[in-house]
Amino acid sequence: MKTPSNDEDAIVLQGVSKRYFLQSQRAGEIKTALLHLLTFLRASRGKQPFWALKDLSLSISRGESVGVIGPNGAGKSTLLRIVARLAPPTKGKVTVRGRVSPLLELGAGFHDQVTGRDNAILNAVLLGLSRREAQERMPEIIDFSELGEFIDQPMRTYSSGMYVRLGFAVAVHVKPEILLIDEVLAVGDAEFQQKCFDHIEKLRQERVTIVLVTHDLESVKRFCDRAVLLEHGSIVTQGAPQAAVDEYLARVFPHATAGSEP
Amino acid sequence: MTSIAAAARARLDFTQLARTWELLMLLTARDVKLRYQGTVLGLLWTLAKPLFLAMVLYFALNRVLGITVADAPYHLFLLSALFPWGWFQSSIQFSAPSFANNAALLKKVYFPRFVLPLSVVTNQLVHFVLSIPILMLLLVISGRHPGPEWLLGVPLLIAIQLLLLAGAVLVVASFDVFLRDLEHLVEVLLNLWFYLTPILYPLSRVPHSVKPFLLINPMTSLIEAWRDLFLKNQLPSADIWPALVFTAVTLVAGALVFKTLEDRFEDAL
Repeated sequence: MKTPSNDEDAIVLQGVSKRYFLQSQRAGEIKTALLHLLTFLRASRGKQPFWALKDLSLSISRGESVGVIGPNGAGKSTLLRIVARLAPPTKGKVTVRGRVSPLLELGAGFHDQVTGRDNAILNAVLLGLSRREAQERMPEIIDFSELGEFIDQPMRTYSSGMYVRLGFAVAVHVKPEILLIDEVLAVGDAEFQQKCFDHIEKLRQERVTIVLVTHDLESVKRFCDRAVLLEHGSIVTQGAPQAAVDEYLARVFPHATAGSEP
Repeated sequence: MTSIAAAARARLDFTQLARTWELLMLLTARDVKLRYQGTVLGLLWTLAKPLFLAMVLYFALNRVLGITVADAPYHLFLLSALFPWGWFQSSIQFSAPSFANNAALLKKVYFPRFVLPLSVVTNQLVHFVLSIPILMLLLVISGRHPGPEWLLGVPLLIAIQLLLLAGAVLVVASFDVFLRDLEHLVEVLLNLWFYLTPILYPLSRVPHSVKPFLLINPMTSLIEAWRDLFLKNQLPSADIWPALVFTAVTLVAGALVFKTLEDRFEDAL
């Protein structure tokens, strides 16, 4: 692990902590609502804090693909959201170099009444392309999503499979420099899944930085150069995927012989 | 310490600005299309709604109560203020929930989020601009002629009102994330504001004791400026200063409020 950041690092987290407040109740009536607003503005005092990430430092080099594993609630998704700038860190410093394409939820922001094409272009612009670039990539996106003529139909007519196919196609065709993947590969039929994996592998060859959060340990071993094991918001261990996965399994199943696979 | 030093945020260069602009345009175009999708009359509704409102007001105030104004037929007097006011009111009202209602999007993709409420303002601007030819037609029918002053006056007043709204909607939409009551409160306040602005009545009829209060109202000066332009072909004078001050204040407030609260959106959404 390189602590001083250099230009080859795509993502650098230095001492990052993220605090959430439990029981953040929604505004009910005016009185509680006003109190609610005040507590928000005053850094939410009086509520029970929950540290999703604790003083976490991590550097990811350009072109590296890193798997993040760990039990539920370990802070894996929070880590991804912080890199995607969706969650500001409570403490610490985050440096991200390059265009980030977050695959947190496919088709976020798609509007049902609008055609697939218009949605795809808007989504691509949301992810940072210019309108012209988005239009230029449309043939590839249509081809990859296998939507054919359906691309010009309103998305309310789409099946859920068509929906996620278009979402994935847009997300991987916006020329991302950093791809953040959170358990979204469990979509579509087996054939489309394979296509997604193949495409991610292709992006990897093109030196796109990839951060993969998943419970699928096999895909970590297959895709990642390095694996990071998180627990209770801290890094337990990191290194070769096989070693990290073994460590994880050894912690989950303490009685099994270390190194063996389930 | 808690700054996100993402290179993308630091360099607010031209391409970044161009993309934000394109995003705003795409969102506006989508929402204009969406608004009347599936309707037979489509955009005509935009024009029909204020016209029907004007007809009702005209009937009640002019025909029944006998209110007349010196400078113009009452229906022109009414419409020359109703159209710009409609842009103002609907922009604030519809943009109030624009962050809160887009939680799914805000939580999944990072983008210049301020375009969400702004796209409501530009969407409403499209409808306002489309209503101007109607006004011109009615003016011509009454024997009045829109002058060349409009070519400068219309873009100028649009620019002022656009900036004013940009600041105001950022304030309202940002706070609304934490307090959804705000969107209802805003609706009520806008209705009050409507009557406290000389739209139905001329400023000259307002009693001296209340007049100062109306003059502080920034919308008074703006609506008066629109009316002078539409009815008398007069370019805005220095009297518009309250609107300019308000614009400057809302812009600063909007930027500050949005910048401060944006980082806390994720806790509330």
